[in-house]
Amino acid sequence: MTEVQLSLNSVDKTYYGKKIETAVRAVKNLSLQIKKGEIVALLGSSGCGKTSTLRMIAGFEDVTGGTIQLSNRDIHDLPPAKRNVAMAFEGYSLYPPLTVRDNIAFALKAERISRSESDSKVIEMAKFLEIEEILDRYPSSISAGQQQRASLARALVRKADLYLLDEPMGQLEPQLRSVLRVRLKQYLQVHQMTTVLVTHDQTEANALADRIAVMEDGELQQFETPTQLKHKPANIYVGTFIGEPPMNTFAAEVKPTGKGFQFRLEETGEILDYQAVDFQQSLHDQLIKHKRIVLGLRPHAVKLGKGALMAQVISNQWLGDQSHIAAEFANKIIVAVSHQRESFKLDEKVPFQLEASDLHFFNAENGNAIAHGLEI
Amino acid sequence: MTTLQLDRVTKKFKADVVLDEVSFEAKAGETVVIFGPSGSGKTVLLRVIAGVHEPEEGKVLLQGHDMTDVAPEHRDVGMAFQNFALFPHFSARENIASPLTALGKSESQIEEQVHSIAQLLKIEHVLEHLPRALSNGQKQRTALARALVAAPKTVLLDDPLRNVDAKLRFEMRLELPRLLRRFGSTVLYVTQDYREAMALADRIAVLLGGEIAQFDTPESIYLRPDSIEVAKLFGEPAINILRGKVNEQANRVSVNQNQFIMPKGFHNKAGKFCEIGIRPESIKLFREKRVGAISYEVITITPLNERSVVLLRSQEGLELLATYPAEEQTAKIGDAFWGMVVPEDLLLFEIETGQRCLSERN
Amino acid sequence: MNQLSKPQRVFRGFLLGLVILFFMFPIFWIFLMSFQTNEQILRIPPSIFFEPTLINYQALITGRLETQAGNLDIAFMENLWNSVFLSSSAVLLSLVLGVPAAYAFARYRFRLGEDIAFTILSFRFAPPLLVLLPLTLYFEDIGLSNTYTGLIWVYQLISLPLILWIVRGYFEDISPDIESAYRLAGHSWLKTFLKISIPLARPGIAAAGLLSFIFAWNNFVFALVLASADKQPVTVGALAFVTASGIQYGQIASGIVLSVTPTLLLALYAQRYLVEGLSLGAVKG
Repeated sequence: MTEVQLSLNSVDKTYYGKKIETAVRAVKNLSLQIKKGEIVALLGSSGCGKTSTLRMIAGFEDVTGGTIQLSNRDIHDLPPAKRNVAMAFEGYSLYPPLTVRDNIAFALKAERISRSESDSKVIEMAKFLEIEEILDRYPSSISAGQQQRASLARALVRKADLYLLDEPMGQLEPQLRSVLRVRLKQYLQVHQMTTVLVTHDQTEANALADRIAVMEDGELQQFETPTQLKHKPANIYVGTFIGEPPMNTFAAEVKPTGKGFQFRLEETGEILDYQAVDFQQSLHDQLIKHKRIVLGLRPHAVKLGKGALMAQVISNQWLGDQSHIAAEFANKIIVAVSHQRESFKLDEKVPFQLEASDLHFFNAENGNAIAHGLEI
Repeated sequence: MTTLQLDRVTKKFKADVVLDEVSFEAKAGETVVIFGPSGSGKTVLLRVIAGVHEPEEGKVLLQGHDMTDVAPEHRDVGMAFQNFALFPHFSARENIASPLTALGKSESQIEEQVHSIAQLLKIEHVLEHLPRALSNGQKQRTALARALVAAPKTVLLDDPLRNVDAKLRFEMRLELPRLLRRFGSTVLYVTQDYREAMALADRIAVLLGGEIAQFDTPESIYLRPDSIEVAKLFGEPAINILRGKVNEQANRVSVNQNQFIMPKGFHNKAGKFCEIGIRPESIKLFREKRVGAISYEVITITPLNERSVVLLRSQEGLELLATYPAEEQTAKIGDAFWGMVVPEDLLLFEIETGQRCLSERN
Repeated sequence: MNQLSKPQRVFRGFLLGLVILFFMFPIFWIFLMSFQTNEQILRIPPSIFFEPTLINYQALITGRLETQAGNLDIAFMENLWNSVFLSSSAVLLSLVLGVPAAYAFARYRFRLGEDIAFTILSFRFAPPLLVLLPLTLYFEDIGLSNTYTGLIWVYQLISLPLILWIVRGYFEDISPDIESAYRLAGHSWLKTFLKISIPLARPGIAAAGLLSFIFAWNNFVFALVLASADKQPVTVGALAFVTASGIQYGQIASGIVLSVTPTLLLALYAQRYLVEGLSLGAVKG
């Protein structure tokens, strides 16, 4: 059982304005236990509280309520410098009068290590992030992507109990992002660095994190591994936020039939018919309780070619390593993903089927998950 | 029929040559994507076609007429800007109507056309709002509506999905082809996202450093890139580039101590060094040994939406990135796999120029 | 850190009160003075309690001043009209010339552009006295002495640079893409300028216009030297109250109140635009 490195206990953050009414509760009662060596992503759209949380962990914001412990000591009252936390900022913030090399080495000054050891660490890190060629240039003369990597290097080269990364790849070109993610993850894993990163990009969170904390409106929605989030989202928000192509949702009426279930899509009336044998008893019991639900389906659920349902093809998009076939069904656009080069005739109506095991069922009133087909 | 033609267009800003003798053409109803990294000159190119910038040299021809000196308002061009450029003091309706008012149409005609396109783009419920009351997605659709409403012969879209959130961007990427097809205009679309380029284009003009590096269908560019630079721009993660030596029989290429089977027809490369390109999806992984396969250890696994990216390292130290469908993801760090690349999937490039080597069969 | 504690708030209120007192007191006192007779004004110690009287205003409006030494004709109302006419005309002319010029400076790079712009701004730095002497001579020669035309022309030195610099900033803040979009929609350059550029720069134009009006209104030196009695604005006209029989403080005070009131009201009404216009134009993105 790996020990807990970072612990947030009922952390609350409220920003006060001029009047009582304009107070904003940015983080609400957040509790997270992060293990040593774990990479955790705080994921959500802007304003969800993820950046406020990061800043509280770093010490740039006061904690309005709750406590934060790092390596078993309370840090929420300590100034940033005393927390033994390294941070890479979104705005890269390199010191303009120093070269990239000196910027990175600066982070090592506080550690009592020899000059040669410091030099070799800087070079190792630069090799890793592929910024070796620009080590002796100044921040003003390098590209945004290079600045961001230099900023990352500066944060990671230090020895700290915790590493905080704020949108670490925001400025990089897409192709480079993928490669760098691999390297970054490799580095963090090999050196067992406990890391918390903030991002609004679910692709990035999925790529890097061991576990993802999805936040919305200051509240924690779910804190699980990427696979769990994908297969068992706790509510519609998490379900539709995670995954690209995104999950499609359909409001549906539940009609138990003697032999199973029928789901009648409310907006357009299509009927999905399933036998009782498709569902486990527990799932069956859950579904019986609801008259209306929201159905969720992910791209891999859409199997084009045969089935009882019909969709109209609106575009074929071959992206090199996969094909996205977009079709209109029940007034929404569903996407089938194929790892072959596949295409269908435009505007043609294509049959498809949805396996019960691929469906997600959500409560129509509060959006919470009722059950997931995979549990079958 | 060619409706748009650029003839050796050169544009300079002070001493900077932003466009260097750029030439290409687009047929009626075609969607040409202008693709390149930031700073490559794509936006400037679009503005030259729109008439906002004047080129130092070269000609812009629309519908066969030389429009190089013609003012923007007479070019029959519709444009959607990256930062939307909506008129802040006009409602969404007035924004969309602006190309129609210039044509002197009647009130009722304008009303009808605006309503029709707003319905198509699903913004009819926000038509009376001012831009500052619209979400980014609504602003983008309003900008698109404004560009398309007068059914101009040429439509210029400057990275319209850039400032829109990931979810909406993905959705619009799927809807745009159908929308553009409906209008039948010749479309020039600028983007930095290779997926967008491949998804929307009939042909892609890859712009690098102010020059067109390759102008071809998405398939040709992806499968037969003219240079390493172009190859690296398409595909995520970027293509693996390794230096290798071709053996005397030209049937194997060695990267240090690892060997790959060569595609046929490269006898002219026998005994020579070259850069080989292997796309991550070309590496097929097996648990059991295969002929010509190399043994790898899994170093890192990184999910990439519907696929997984794995960093492999051979016993001899060769590192490669490979991808495979996410559903097949069973690997763990430290696992051993045998990896194979189908010879025809191997791309060869010249060392000095980075240009792709063509086999004797082409 | 965002909340001010009670004692901090009290202290802040106290400081604000001091500042307001400092700036408003002269205006307040003059306002009082305008309702007092000379004797009441000169009384020692001064007092805020007195019997208000309207004789000062009466004198201004009727144009006759009755003093111990005799009666005096006062042309104050004429001066007021001159101020209004001169300031408005000058600002109007400056707007017609300056707004398109500001646009040109904002949008087009032409040779010596920055130099020309800075030269025009420098007119604001230069002491008017520098140009006055040569101007009087030239004006005599070309027959512009003591003419409205001459004065309005000279007033451009005050109003034009201000309008140029403030409005230029405003035009620069408008993304060129917005104008391009209107052109591409099929509209000519002129239509774009009138329907897009000017409306979007309106706060800046209003602010610049207002400020120019205030500066033109307050100008003393040009009118003093280049105008004779019948064309003088209130700033110069107030000198008439320094008579042989003594300084007519009461009338001066009421004269000041009357001259300050239009600009004060205008500024109060448009203060929002003034602050917005001055800061937005200056800060470039």
